[in-house]
Amino acid sequence: MKLRVRINGADHELEARTDESILDVVRRELGLLSVRETCGIGVCGACTVLLDGEPVSGCLLLAPLADGREITTVEGLGGDDPVQQAFSDAHAFQCGYCTPGMILTAKRLLEETPQLTEDDVRAAMSGNLCRCGSYVKIVEAVLQAANA
Amino acid sequence: MHEPEWLAPASLEEALALKAERTDATVVAGGTFVGILVNQHLLAPTAFLSLGGIRGLRFVAEHEGELRLGALATHRAVELSPLVREKWPALARAFSLVASPRVRNRATVGGVLGDADYASDPPSMFVALGARVVVQSRHGAREIPAEELIVGYYETSLAPDELIVEVIVPGGPHRAAYRKFRTRSHEDRPSVGVAACARDGGLRVVVGAVAGRPQYFPELCTGEPASIAQAYAEAIDPIGDISGSSEYRRRVIAVEVRRALEEIAA
Repeated sequence: MKLRVRINGADHELEARTDESILDVVRRELGLLSVRETCGIGVCGACTVLLDGEPVSGCLLLAPLADGREITTVEGLGGDDPVQQAFSDAHAFQCGYCTPGMILTAKRLLEETPQLTEDDVRAAMSGNLCRCGSYVKIVEAVLQAANA
Repeated sequence: MHEPEWLAPASLEEALALKAERTDATVVAGGTFVGILVNQHLLAPTAFLSLGGIRGLRFVAEHEGELRLGALATHRAVELSPLVREKWPALARAFSLVASPRVRNRATVGGVLGDADYASDPPSMFVALGARVVVQSRHGAREIPAEELIVGYYETSLAPDELIVEVIVPGGPHRAAYRKFRTRSHEDRPSVGVAACARDGGLRVVVGAVAGRPQYFPELCTGEPASIAQAYAEAIDPIGDISGSSEYRRRVIAVEVRRALEEIAA
């Protein structure tokens, strides 16, 4: 099928199968490699993308469900986003594999909840796993970004 | 491999016609459950019937004192609804405990009932609250008590041409609780889920995630919390899986049912 989707601010018409995930499509067709499949069952959060601004699991989202909608990946944030800056300043990663998903989840959290407590951050980020165990720094980074 | 057809009706009428004609099609709402099955190569349908284009099934509203949830309302919408939080707080809580915000942004009310996954949170809560599920075919609509919808592992009492369109939850004063017991902090599915609701002197206790369907024994719902809990632990024959052995779950049921009942008595 032809998939019409706005990705990181640009309109695309992409080749996609109805039974593949948006993760596979954006990696293959556009080389957006920050979207990563790890668990493949929606638990780990490494595949997080924003669908019309809401975090969703890219590994579970059948490509046609993104038709006519907007996808944001971390490549679309441009590098100087305050959340990216806060992760960098707080050293909120070790290997960095989970970081794009963490940043996108945090981005939405900051938009919907301006006054954040540490508990809010922990609850919102609970679906993004970091096998290096950088959680303390990640929570710090999100709180820093909230106060930036 | 053959590429599945993508059927995307724009109205409920069109969807019901397709549901009757295309019994081979797999229904997709939020697509989280179907997404897992397809991604893991457990499901390779000839066609998908996507309900996402249907307007008017996303409501979360109160009507004549009852809560009405459209089949396409997301978990997140139920969880965050000020109406649900105020008048049906245990239901808001049960939805808030499902998986992660990512999944709750997509997963729907109709989906979690229709997929009949035993390790889910909301179905038990719906049964405890005495909810009715409105299902529709080309020939009309009917209501199914929530406890009669899920009949076994991934099996419902829906006819092949029917779709879930709405869930109705009775209102009025009630005290309810939902407890979710996980065996690992990274686990998003319950090992044991307990939903309880006291209303008009009656009590409904429902245990989820331990068998093919939510476990509800009306005849065991009287007495002290500890004795009801013990009776439930003895009546249920729990599944053994990655979230706990059968014997382990039996002990957890005895504890969690008692705690749920103490919560609503407090």
